[in-house]
Amino acid sequence: MKIARKRKAKSEIPTASTSDIAFLLIIFFMATTKFDVKEGIKIVLPQATEKQEGQVQSLTLTEKEMTRFQIMADGQIAINKEAPRTLENNELDMLIQKKVKENQDMIFKVITDREANYNEMVRVVDRLKAAKIEKISLSTN
Amino acid sequence: MAFNLKKKRDAAIPQCSMGDIAFLLLLFFMVSTVFVQEKKFWVERERWPIADSIERIPRNHTTTIYVMRDETILIDDIPTRIESAEDVFVSTTLVRKKTEDPDLIVCFRTDRDTKYGVMSDVMRQLQDANTLVVAFETQQRQN
Repeated sequence: MKIARKRKAKSEIPTASTSDIAFLLIIFFMATTKFDVKEGIKIVLPQATEKQEGQVQSLTLTEKEMTRFQIMADGQIAINKEAPRTLENNELDMLIQKKVKENQDMIFKVITDREANYNEMVRVVDRLKAAKIEKISLSTN
Repeated sequence: MAFNLKKKRDAAIPQCSMGDIAFLLLLFFMVSTVFVQEKKFWVERERWPIADSIERIPRNHTTTIYVMRDETILIDDIPTRIESAEDVFVSTTLVRKKTEDPDLIVCFRTDRDTKYGVMSDVMRQLQDANTLVVAFETQQRQN
């Protein structure tokens, strides 16, 4: 009598779907990756003034050479010796243009009150940068 | 005369290496991805000021200082405060960083409602550390 031998089943892990799984994982990584791009307003601070006498070179600038933007605690802006007032972005733009027309090499100094919002300082510097002004001085008080 | 008819070859793209390529790409993404851990001190992007004239800052020379609304300063993941002239942690950290990278740019991620006073104190310490190039990180204004 013939006994039928059972064939041993091959024990293999199916790998046909490996690439599908890998691609799914790639899509997950691509969808969740968020590139941390750094963007902002770049500025160069003035050098720290030496406290020793004789090392500081003082320079007096007139209103024709330098415009002072003084930001008050309540957000109002005083230009040079004028009274402080609320200035919208378009008003600031016009004022900057006017000052640049008066002097191409005008220096703009931004003095901000310690109690004023940081946002106000950034707004003024942004308007100056938008007008392609390079000579901006930030005061630390 | 008999002509030998050429057998047409199957025009199939070999797909056996597809899995390897996919895994290579996967490895690349896994290696290059850095998960930003949610810190206790953090300034959300929505809290940054909004500006028009922003520029891209090269990442390889930057260090980031977070300034919270409650005047907490975060540098190198270490929270600090500037309450007196003796609090020079920011300046000492930046002196070290400046020696490591002379082209260092300090990026500020500051809450827009922070009082300018604390920013002024930090910037004065930057001046002391001779780290003069700064960038105020902002959101782009959407028109």
